[in-house]
Amino acid sequence: MSHVTCIELIAFLDAYVDNELDAETRGTFDLHLLVCPSCRAYLASYRETIELVRGVAEQEEELAHDAPRELIEAVLTSKSSRPKS
Amino acid sequence: MLVDDGNLIERLRMGDDVAFAELVEHHAAPLLAVTRRILRDEEDARDAVQEAFVAAFRGIGEFQSESRVSTWLHRIAVNCALMKLRGLERRREQDVDALLPPFQPDGHQRHSSVAWLETAEDILHREQSCALVRQCIDQLPESYRIVLVLRDIEQLPPDVVAEKLQITRDNLKVKLHRARQALRTLLDPHMRGAS
Repeated sequence: MSHVTCIELIAFLDAYVDNELDAETRGTFDLHLLVCPSCRAYLASYRETIELVRGVAEQEEELAHDAPRELIEAVLTSKSSRPKS
Repeated sequence: MLVDDGNLIERLRMGDDVAFAELVEHHAAPLLAVTRRILRDEEDARDAVQEAFVAAFRGIGEFQSESRVSTWLHRIAVNCALMKLRGLERRREQDVDALLPPFQPDGHQRHSSVAWLETAEDILHREQSCALVRQCIDQLPESYRIVLVLRDIEQLPPDVVAEKLQITRDNLKVKLHRARQALRTLLDPHMRGAS
């Protein structure tokens, strides 16, 4: 692959981000990124998107200190109402 | 806090009710967060947690001692939530193509991408912005949203997700990339400061 266009770079952006490309292909991607500010912006925002998804989930986990009491009671009741095997 | 998974499992295997209560008290909240993300409906999410604990108790004999209890329960909760999701009436699947970047015939981007004003780290410090990200995730077509949730949020291995969703690994990879691109498109007007 001697050079890539925006459409090719964006089609394989996940492989680029995850370091799954061979060295030669990665090199051609890097060359395109050097000369294409639009793809640089796209790559950066693609990475931020992944970070945002993970970050929001981590925040939700941190806020989830306590389960509703009625849920815990319901689980314990459903277990105790089951016949012992 | 549970410091000894092995001891807890032994007590559960012996039918110790106190051990079961400890398990539920300690793990219900994180499991509810997982099922909420998958199901997006509070009642369904709570039902899935309840079913997960019942399944865990029933399957305690299958617990592998080298596993962590939290990882084992996480997998069970994901399974219960996915089963419930399949049982729910499916929303009409929307096409994701409209959310993918358009290109010119020569392969260049039709609309130049613009750098975002803030980093993810900055954005995550604001509660309102987190809610916006969550809303955008929820706007994704269902089959793409669930791939994003299982891979990028729950961080389940590709093989596991492909098996759970009954799709090939290649299909999973394509769907994850499209889901990320679609979410980026939905976030873009807010992150470049246009709204």
